[in-house]
Amino acid sequence: MDRLITFERITIEPPLEAIYRRLGFRKGLTKIKPDETRALGEGIEKARSLITLKGAARRLPILSKDSRLIRLPESHCLESTHLAKLLADSQEVLLMGATAGAAVIEAIRRDTAADKLSQAVVLDAAASEMVDAALDWMEAFFAQDLRRESRRLTKSRFSCGYGDLALENQKLFYDLLDLGRFGVELTERYILAPEKSVTAVAGIETTG
Amino acid sequence: MAKGQRIFLDIMKKRPLILDGATGTELQKRGMPAGVCPELWCIENPSVIASVHSDYARAGCDVVYTCTFGANRFKLGQYGEPDARSVNRRLALIAREALRGKALVAGDIGPTGHFIQPFGEVDFEEAVAAFKEQVLGLLEGGVDCFVIETMMDIQEARAALIAVKETCDLFTMVTMTFERDGRTLNGTDPLTALTTLQALGADAVGCNCSTGPDDMVRFIEAMKPYAKIPLIAKPNAGLPKTVGDTTVYDMDAAEFASRAGALIAAGAGILGGCCGTTPGHLAALRKTVARKKPAPPLRKSLAALSSARKTLLFEPGRPLAVIGESINPTGRKALQEELREGKTALARQMARDQEMAGAALLDVNVGVPGIDQEKAMQEIVLALSIATELPLVIDSAKAEPIERALRVYPGRALINSISGEREKLRKLLPVAAKYGAMFILLPLTDKGIPETAEKRAVVVRAIEQEARKHGFTRDDFLVDGIVMTAASNPKAPQETIRTVRWATETFGARTVVGLSNVSFGMPERKWINTSFLAMAAASGLTAAIANPASEELMFVKNASDVLGGRDRDAAAWIAHCAKAAGSAKKGAPIETLPPERKVRQAILDGNREAVAGLVGETLKAGLDAAKLAQEIMIPAIVEVGERFGRKEYFLPQLIASGETMKIGMEALEPFLKGDLKAQRGTILIATVKGDIHDIGKNIVALMLRNHGFQVVDLGKDVAAERIVREIDRHRPQVVGLSALMTTTMTQMKEVIALARKQGEQCPFVVGGAVVTKAYAESIGAEYARDGVEAVQVIQRLIR
Repeated sequence: MDRLITFERITIEPPLEAIYRRLGFRKGLTKIKPDETRALGEGIEKARSLITLKGAARRLPILSKDSRLIRLPESHCLESTHLAKLLADSQEVLLMGATAGAAVIEAIRRDTAADKLSQAVVLDAAASEMVDAALDWMEAFFAQDLRRESRRLTKSRFSCGYGDLALENQKLFYDLLDLGRFGVELTERYILAPEKSVTAVAGIETTG
Repeated sequence: MAKGQRIFLDIMKKRPLILDGATGTELQKRGMPAGVCPELWCIENPSVIASVHSDYARAGCDVVYTCTFGANRFKLGQYGEPDARSVNRRLALIAREALRGKALVAGDIGPTGHFIQPFGEVDFEEAVAAFKEQVLGLLEGGVDCFVIETMMDIQEARAALIAVKETCDLFTMVTMTFERDGRTLNGTDPLTALTTLQALGADAVGCNCSTGPDDMVRFIEAMKPYAKIPLIAKPNAGLPKTVGDTTVYDMDAAEFASRAGALIAAGAGILGGCCGTTPGHLAALRKTVARKKPAPPLRKSLAALSSARKTLLFEPGRPLAVIGESINPTGRKALQEELREGKTALARQMARDQEMAGAALLDVNVGVPGIDQEKAMQEIVLALSIATELPLVIDSAKAEPIERALRVYPGRALINSISGEREKLRKLLPVAAKYGAMFILLPLTDKGIPETAEKRAVVVRAIEQEARKHGFTRDDFLVDGIVMTAASNPKAPQETIRTVRWATETFGARTVVGLSNVSFGMPERKWINTSFLAMAAASGLTAAIANPASEELMFVKNASDVLGGRDRDAAAWIAHCAKAAGSAKKGAPIETLPPERKVRQAILDGNREAVAGLVGETLKAGLDAAKLAQEIMIPAIVEVGERFGRKEYFLPQLIASGETMKIGMEALEPFLKGDLKAQRGTILIATVKGDIHDIGKNIVALMLRNHGFQVVDLGKDVAAERIVREIDRHRPQVVGLSALMTTTMTQMKEVIALARKQGEQCPFVVGGAVVTKAYAESIGAEYARDGVEAVQVIQRLIR
């Protein structure tokens, strides 16, 4: 199971509903004129052309776990009561990482510098949601195989820096997923750069 | 005809051919524990898998799959089994023994669990080699046919199909897994999968798994009009539901079988079951379809190209296709340099630019002297396969780079070109046939270019005759009209047009021209090119190799489509015109309002283009600048904030209004007496050290400026020492700090502690995704949720 799987190009449609929601759109409340909708569509299209989603994933067996500590091979472990709860019925973990690439971040920077912040926020929201959707895509990819193995993924996933899973764990994800191959860097404060890069962990459970 | 094909076709003349149902769930029901390798478990428990096979044969299945779905080196390796060939052989033998001729044995090949180049890290040839291991083992075990199934990556399906076709000539089916949105996870739609796989030699194509029969009807319908081979539908037993710890499917045998009629009506000739189906489901299916005769394939050939995500049909009534000509190093020094260095960035950019400009296909040429053109072609084709959705035209004077490109290209490509030169015919026709490529038929011979259309027609027919020997039809090539330079031979353009007209009207083939040659050596070439395009389009031209960045050319192409009846309802023309018009309509002010109300409305509407002019108009009308700022513009931006607070506006509107306000204030500033910003106060803001996420901070800065504050923005990743130094320098009324991550949030506390230590008493406002009110209070700061609230908090603090 323990082999890194990389995805050089994850092809997904921009999740429009999620992008609108991230930008503050609320159905029934927010009123948008046709030209604003068109401009937003163009912005999302621009984001799509700038974003190159790449990803990596790795299945690892859980060697042991208690209410706080999840032990993985090669003495790696994750410490979090929230994560331990999520993984209560899991025998393996699926580590995932994805990046939207540097081009969209550079475009956001350029737009911001050129006082085009309204374009920059659309690119920012589209990139955030597309990289998140890339994790959904990877989960769907693994779900196919898992179903045939009478296994499934946990209903939710967890990211470093959320709940009590410390952001410092990002180093473990970064190394195990070899995110450097995509040009992603890890800063000394455990932030992934370029900005729209994410990691997550889900559990793999046996079904009855 | 593939070996065994006759048996399949004979059955389908009477009723649909029936494949088997799910294997995994049957094995679990019969004792296979969860988490084991099914293939290895079946070798250890041959009687169990044999009983599954027999039950499906008894249910009336014509074809039963070997239990080798995951018997490839990648998956078996995860369980420590190194000999994939042996595992396949043994499982095929078990199936043969169990079935004893009661059903055909299909050697089952499933996905490796990895993505193949260019979509993943597994080298294409490594994937082909891995599948060949399976194929060899299955052949040794005596399978009657092959099935490549549950593929979500078209490139992996290609690798498996090439592995089978290079090893044997048995009947081979390929089924892809489409999600409910009608695409595979990797983005391939049913028509594109069909176009690519049937060209590559699949004997039947279709879909399995992922959806129930109802969704699959759409996928079969999408393929049927373009299929020259039988179509397969092997759906799940409805949709999965989780009951307790178990996944169950919502269709029983009778309900599942009742959907077969719709699948046959849609065009499926081969039916079966996937996840959740049982021998009972298949028995019911067989009974239901016993007297239903499937429709045979509707065509014998298809003029279409594909990438991994898109198909381009060359059907009558379709728009003229522009083949983007830029990715060609001739006369392009930067591209030559890049190819020499083995880079692809410029080519990828060119591809995106041409796609945006309206190209339908991209010509790819790597003809730089002194480089390894085979390697360069492979690399550029792989790179472009993920950079663009457009199908590629493989352009080379040499056969080897073309062959390399066709092997790795995850679609059906067009070869540019195959001429009547003896060596070209000998080398390229077999290559084109093997990979199912279309080609540009260049009517020239070893003796040179025939001058007249009549002579070119003779060469076209001769090349076609050779091509037919390799299975090609007139749908598989485009005749090149051969464009010569008008400057050197004034009659040449007419001969090209006559060739196009003859090929279209008399010969009944598609046509193409390399447009820009016609104007070589002439001034104002674009007019010659576009006029020639219009003439050729009127003569029935299918495609033109041209520059889609030429505005004139694309207008003429689109206009020709309308006038030639190739653009129904002029929809593409209207869309092209709207795109060209761009933002010209944006910012039209409401004419009936008085000038100052127009300024207000411009801010509310985020009308950046109009606001500066409206400010000038208002001042000209006699309104005092300060009054315009204080009584019109600032209340307008406050109202924007209120609308945002009520969720009537969302972020792009808030910011568009903010940007409009900024432009308006800049227009107003020279007319203001005294410094309005100084009156409101100075705010210093920064994203703290270690944090690179600053878009929220930038929004706050914009909002503050629009409310008349002087903002000193120190940027992102700013150290505590620098922030405190800048506080001392600018003496701000308030300091704003932002952070997005838990690890950087703690820097806020350090900044405030250092400031206090150095005697700075200014208030701090903090914000960011992970920052809470409680955290802000714990470090002695105020909290603001967003840009609008930041303005409110700061206004309160200053008051």
